[in-house]
Amino acid sequence: MKNFLNILHNEWRIMVADRSLFLVSLLLIFLLGYALFIGFTATDVREERIRELEVQQEQKLSATAKQISLIESGREMPTAFSNPLNPALLGSGQGALHAVMPVSPLSPIALGQSDMLPDHYRVSIRNKTTFMYQTENENPWNLLTGRFDPVFVLVYLLPLFIFAVSYNLVSSEKEQGTLRMQLSQPVTLQLLMTAKLTARMVPVMIISILAITLPFLILRGTAVTASDQLLYGLVAVLIVLAYALFWFMLALFINSFGFSSAGNALILVGIWAFLVLVAPVLLNVYVSRVSPAPSRIELATETRLITIDGLNRYQELLSSDYRHVQESSMLLPKDGRFEVPERLQAFYLINKSVDEKVGTLLADFETRLFAQQDLVERFGFVSPAILAYEGLLSIAGTGTRRYQHFTGQVNEYHQQWKDFFEPRIISGLAMTVADLGKLPRFTWRELDSGVVLIGSLMKALLIFLMVAVLFLLGLRNFAKATDIV
Amino acid sequence: MTWLIVSREIREFYRDGRFLFGAGLIVVLFVTAFLVGFEQRKNVFSEREVAQQLDYDDWVNQPERHPHDAAHQGMHVFKPIPPLSFVDPGITNYVGSTQWLQAHRQTEVKFRPAQDATGLQRFGSLTPAWIIQMLGPLLIIVLGFNSFSGEREQGTLRQLISLGVPSWKLLVGKALALFLGALLLLAPLLMLAFWIAFGDVQAGDRYDVLIRLGLLVLGYLVYLGIYIFMVLTVSVLTPASRISLVVLLAVWIAGTILAPRVLVDVARMVYPTPNQVEFNAQLNQELRKEYTKAWKEHFGVEDRWGTDVPLSRWGEALQVDDQAGYNAIDRHFGALWNRYDDQQRLQEFFGFVFPMLSVRSYSMAITATDFSHHRDFAVSAEQHRRLMQNLISSELVEHADGQGEHHFDYKVSKAFWSRIPPFEYAAPSVLFALQRSLNSFAIMCATLLFSFVFALLSSRKLV
Repeated sequence: MKNFLNILHNEWRIMVADRSLFLVSLLLIFLLGYALFIGFTATDVREERIRELEVQQEQKLSATAKQISLIESGREMPTAFSNPLNPALLGSGQGALHAVMPVSPLSPIALGQSDMLPDHYRVSIRNKTTFMYQTENENPWNLLTGRFDPVFVLVYLLPLFIFAVSYNLVSSEKEQGTLRMQLSQPVTLQLLMTAKLTARMVPVMIISILAITLPFLILRGTAVTASDQLLYGLVAVLIVLAYALFWFMLALFINSFGFSSAGNALILVGIWAFLVLVAPVLLNVYVSRVSPAPSRIELATETRLITIDGLNRYQELLSSDYRHVQESSMLLPKDGRFEVPERLQAFYLINKSVDEKVGTLLADFETRLFAQQDLVERFGFVSPAILAYEGLLSIAGTGTRRYQHFTGQVNEYHQQWKDFFEPRIISGLAMTVADLGKLPRFTWRELDSGVVLIGSLMKALLIFLMVAVLFLLGLRNFAKATDIV
Repeated sequence: MTWLIVSREIREFYRDGRFLFGAGLIVVLFVTAFLVGFEQRKNVFSEREVAQQLDYDDWVNQPERHPHDAAHQGMHVFKPIPPLSFVDPGITNYVGSTQWLQAHRQTEVKFRPAQDATGLQRFGSLTPAWIIQMLGPLLIIVLGFNSFSGEREQGTLRQLISLGVPSWKLLVGKALALFLGALLLLAPLLMLAFWIAFGDVQAGDRYDVLIRLGLLVLGYLVYLGIYIFMVLTVSVLTPASRISLVVLLAVWIAGTILAPRVLVDVARMVYPTPNQVEFNAQLNQELRKEYTKAWKEHFGVEDRWGTDVPLSRWGEALQVDDQAGYNAIDRHFGALWNRYDDQQRLQEFFGFVFPMLSVRSYSMAITATDFSHHRDFAVSAEQHRRLMQNLISSELVEHADGQGEHHFDYKVSKAFWSRIPPFEYAAPSVLFALQRSLNSFAIMCATLLFSFVFALLSSRKLV
């Protein structure tokens, strides 16, 4: 132990003197800081937008309430296509409300799918295809490239920083001729290497963890220290630690073969390229082969066929006369009843049948995607990069699962919305101010935090397992390798 | 003598396992990528053609119906897949593939394939272009990092110079050897050229595809050439192979991994784009203005679709309303898409320093998978929708408006449906692609020239 500490102490002195550690740390802090800045900015924009949507929505609702009472008291005359008393209009464009997925407090860690998939839908009595296909407005070139968020720095770049300080643990000593001198002291090669590695590991890991956690604690202190978020944060830290350790141990393992410094660098970068660049891409190919998404073309064709069917079935309702447009008396309720134009009823019914049929097709898309994500979870072990990325994404609440959880809830909400309006449209009940208060509202249910935590924790543990294996293999090699010296 | 150097270098590559291992791995990835991409393309390709035909058949065979209801059914059009998209799918995964031409407002091209994939997709897609762009430079670094520094360490460099070998010849020889390595990497691409050009593609398009393939190979040779001279320069200037390798790896990571993402942020800051909510809000506001103006001019009323315009003028109203919207829509979408263009241009420009950015843009343009090609499709699909709308409105003006209150009883005869032609999209020719890629190609050539001159200058300080 005393020797270990001695080596540690000396290594630190050397690293302080040659400034290598200082430079690496500085760059790492800078990159993480910049990535966090990007993450926080993007999250702020999303939060701001959600707030705006909610404000607009409430304003619109109270304006509608006001209009209804004005019309009821005879002080305003509605028009045919903008009549809040008409349930078929209020339930579609005019009164449609938003279903919103809130931003997770830890989402600045990983932007994930948030730049592509919407976190809000405007749900109406129309069929799902009219509002569920919406996507975010983002330059496709940018989507293709990806963003510079913390998860990018951690998964892609952190390993390279680790290599920069540890690729030549043995080889440099050997090349400088200092290895023999050191080993003439009462230390084993294993001890020497472990100590040298520890001397690098401790500062790099402390810096990465602090660089990530401190900004959160300072900027989002109350949000991230809420009990469940604190656990999320701890698991995220564990993942980062495990992932960093993995690359350190890999460096130790490769060092144990006694190649030249250039050889080590080459092999390490080769492995990095494979695990970080190639493996995820290959797994993606595999996953989309095993559980391919159904055909969107078929979906389009099916939607059209159902629409045609509806148009034929409700032909008579559709070609009903449109006198109500001209006769303002028909725009007003009589004893609480409102004659919903047959044409609008027909559109409602067509939309309903589109929903029924397309619903199963759309559900098929969701199931396949779910299965794909399952496969990613199951085969993530092929690369610690996949494990770390997936783990951090689910902690940040920007992963596939949470978005699917959201669309599932939007489907339920859509049903509630239709259930609310259908009787009113079919039996012609005028909307009242009181009805506005009874409109179904979307309430977000968060993913089961236990499942998220255990899933991410398992990923961290899996990486730790890899770490242990690499460490033991490395030590065994060092023990056997008399020819290194 | 140059060839002597070349053959010696190549023998060297073979002797240590680097080349076989590195190139072997890349070729395996290559073949996988080709097979996957090609199969997908074939499936989707035929499916889209059949679907679009069926769609039009259904349109033509509609029963007698009110034309506006028919426009609710509308037509689906599917974006064709360019023949070379399996070499470089570009932004294909991140833009829609299907447009539903319907009544009322411009619809977007829907269904991005990336929506149907997990988050893993964001690591990239296994495509030949991705392999060359990302891993090609790495292979060259692995092969060439010690070409000079290694000889210096072994002491053979001095011997060579003492034999009277001019340093520039040594440089050219080593560069040529690396070029041959790069060509070997591109060989599968060339072989596929013939396979596809004379197999899958229609006869008329064969030359188009061949020219595109030639341009692709040229572009990628320039791209890899930049790295070849850069590798040689660093190998000359660094005192030891170890340092040369570390420097080159850092350059590679900065250029292929780091820079693209940083520049996305830069581009977004310089040319900000509105998000979905903002965009829709602005567009709606503008549309309201245009509508009000048009209704006031034509009918002297403020309210759209109010009680003041009789049903006997609804066909006309539909026409007026549609026309009023077109300008605002074109302006807003045009502005957004121009912003995307600006963002891409800016990033492409940084190809001077990070060649990956210009080669990516070049490659996408040549394979017809960049945004300008997507935009071309979206615009012509929208034109077709307007054609449909115009024909329908004039039909309504001519016949339905006369029926007054019974406007919606009017049914057009079946013969009317075939007056709306099928949507036949002619993909832009290679000239369009050339125009789009000129910028990035010029940037790459300039960088190549620069790196060549720099290598030549540095080779004078060999010993």
